[in-house]
Amino acid sequence: MRLHRIRRSMVAAVSVTGMAAALLAGCGSDGGSEGGVTKLTFAASTLGDPGRGPLLTKWLEEFNKSQNKVQVSPAAVPYPTFGQTILTQMGSGKGPDLIRFDMPEFESASDAGLIAPLNDLIDVSKYDLLKQPDQFMVHDGQRHGIIFEASNYAMFYNADLIKKAPTTYDEFVETAKSLTKGDTYGLAFRQTEAEEAGVWQDIFNYVYGFGGAWSDGKQLTINSPENLKGLQAYKDLYDAKVIPRGTDAATFRRMFAEGKVGMELNNGGYVTATRGQNADLNFNVAPIPFPVRKQGTILAPIVINEASPAKEEAATFIKWALEPANQVKLQEILGASSVATVTQRSPEKLKETPFLTVFDDLTESSLPQIVLGFEAKTPDIRKVVVKNVIAALQGTVDLKTALDNAQQEASQLVG
Amino acid sequence: MRLPHVGLTLRIIGVLLVLGVAVFPLYWMFVTALTGDSELFASEARLVPDFSQFGVFIDALAEGKATTWLLNSLVIAAGTTILSIGLGIPLGYALSRFSFRGKVIVTVVLLFTQMLPEALMVVPLFALFRRFDLLDSLGGLILVNSAFVLPIVALILKGAIDGLPREVEESARVDGARPLTVLLRINVPLIAPSLAATAVIAFFHAWNEYVFAVTFVFTPGLQPASVGIANFIGELGTPIQTVMAVSFMFTAPAVVFYLFVQKYVVAGMTAGAVKG
Repeated sequence: MRLHRIRRSMVAAVSVTGMAAALLAGCGSDGGSEGGVTKLTFAASTLGDPGRGPLLTKWLEEFNKSQNKVQVSPAAVPYPTFGQTILTQMGSGKGPDLIRFDMPEFESASDAGLIAPLNDLIDVSKYDLLKQPDQFMVHDGQRHGIIFEASNYAMFYNADLIKKAPTTYDEFVETAKSLTKGDTYGLAFRQTEAEEAGVWQDIFNYVYGFGGAWSDGKQLTINSPENLKGLQAYKDLYDAKVIPRGTDAATFRRMFAEGKVGMELNNGGYVTATRGQNADLNFNVAPIPFPVRKQGTILAPIVINEASPAKEEAATFIKWALEPANQVKLQEILGASSVATVTQRSPEKLKETPFLTVFDDLTESSLPQIVLGFEAKTPDIRKVVVKNVIAALQGTVDLKTALDNAQQEASQLVG
Repeated sequence: MRLPHVGLTLRIIGVLLVLGVAVFPLYWMFVTALTGDSELFASEARLVPDFSQFGVFIDALAEGKATTWLLNSLVIAAGTTILSIGLGIPLGYALSRFSFRGKVIVTVVLLFTQMLPEALMVVPLFALFRRFDLLDSLGGLILVNSAFVLPIVALILKGAIDGLPREVEESARVDGARPLTVLLRINVPLIAPSLAATAVIAFFHAWNEYVFAVTFVFTPGLQPASVGIANFIGELGTPIQTVMAVSFMFTAPAVVFYLFVQKYVVAGMTAGAVKG
């Protein structure tokens, strides 16, 4: 009798488990090829931008309409955790087929063998690629990416608040101070550890703009006197309270669009994003007025996931994107950024946005925000540097000690 | 004669203060969603919603994405609640009523799992879920959330069952009830307050979960609201009013769920805390 009862309980348990397994399996994905059409996913943090995202989605739709063999759909990966999420997925043999990376993550992924080499998939000799940014796409003769967007950093300023753009660092500080009153701030930059990648982008301009560098190509130079000078300038502005302290980038960029922030150092992509938030804002752009004309550039390559079962089809999309007409359209969507190939800006566009040439003129003096010689280790070095610089901003340690600590920690990391 | 009134007044003020602290973030989200662009960063913050801006809620819903995210969140949260309680009841019962070798170790291990941060488990669980084809599915998220919430559910239910007199079960057995019948018909109704408490814990855990949801799901139509809202945060811009409107709608169902079961929760939290 007891045995009979146990057997019935077991049958019930197995049935319930089986039903649960069937339910879970039934909810699983079945992507890939369907009815002769290969379905691909494309992940790009820019797809979430209010100004550029919808336009980029339409650009993808144009590719889908151009042929009937491959369909590309956007993969929605939130910007705040984009790199971490995609690298986790790729590291486990999954993830989107096509990815638009930022440089630090691109270097890590290519070093880890997560990106498909493009040498046999795309014949780049057919295209007039921009040489300066394109040189960073090749590692030891293997091409891992094609530039999707190259966007130099410059100084955006509210032309209603600032009649003449500052041309020296002293003028820059004075302008920031004079504009800061009430609910308006002279300047804005990222200054919290929660925005690690953003802080790295921002301090890059201060370090290189004051003659510093994160490395000499062989050794890290995080605590060099030039770096200290540049980061002291960054800290002085923070201490002067000319920025909305504690405010994240999303908020202070909206403040800039609403005329509550006077200046911001940002990349060319910001033009479209700002107009997307406030089409009536009267703003202008000038080179960053720091002592040395060197600034960061956002290099964003498009790559093919090594785990993608449809690399040829993914390459079809990249080849379509490289066609001259599609490059022009992409450049117009991206704003003041450059694309992979040499493209001419139309007279209409130049009339509409005269400062586009400011960005173009900065290409030769712009550098990707990676640590040269330690490219694949950039995310790790970034973490160490940002943590220590933020500690100095918050006053828990003086800046020189913070940079010495960062140098020591990062040197141990890279070995 | 006046003293009781003073006490009551102070108590009401205290309750209102606590209520204000708890409700204010929700109210602030609502007001921000209904604030025009020009007033968003004004030095004097708007404290009263501007209902002429109500279109932001309609626009957020009109696209359909927010509704899909909320529905996905509801499926994941409800599924996690049902699965974790369904598995937590027999586990809690076994830990409470049966003596077996390693019982203490099992209990300690259950507690230990609560100390593991989710981020630590993402990579190994991703590989495991990929092997069993559970990625990019709501079922997979229900499973992973249940795995994380099950230990605390089981331990709370164990505490509640510990507090039940064994004589009740023995009487039922004398009347011919089987072990499963005793558990389902005698014990479960008696631990209803604890079940409500664990339901709240499981529901809220799954409703708010972000790390697994953002990593395990690729299809936009399967994303829950916790991930969907983060999608609004762009590299160069964020539509703040839309984020606040969707966040407000995201918070509301969870609050309603809590109000629905709250009368059982306090009793459930303390059940089993003091044993006779």
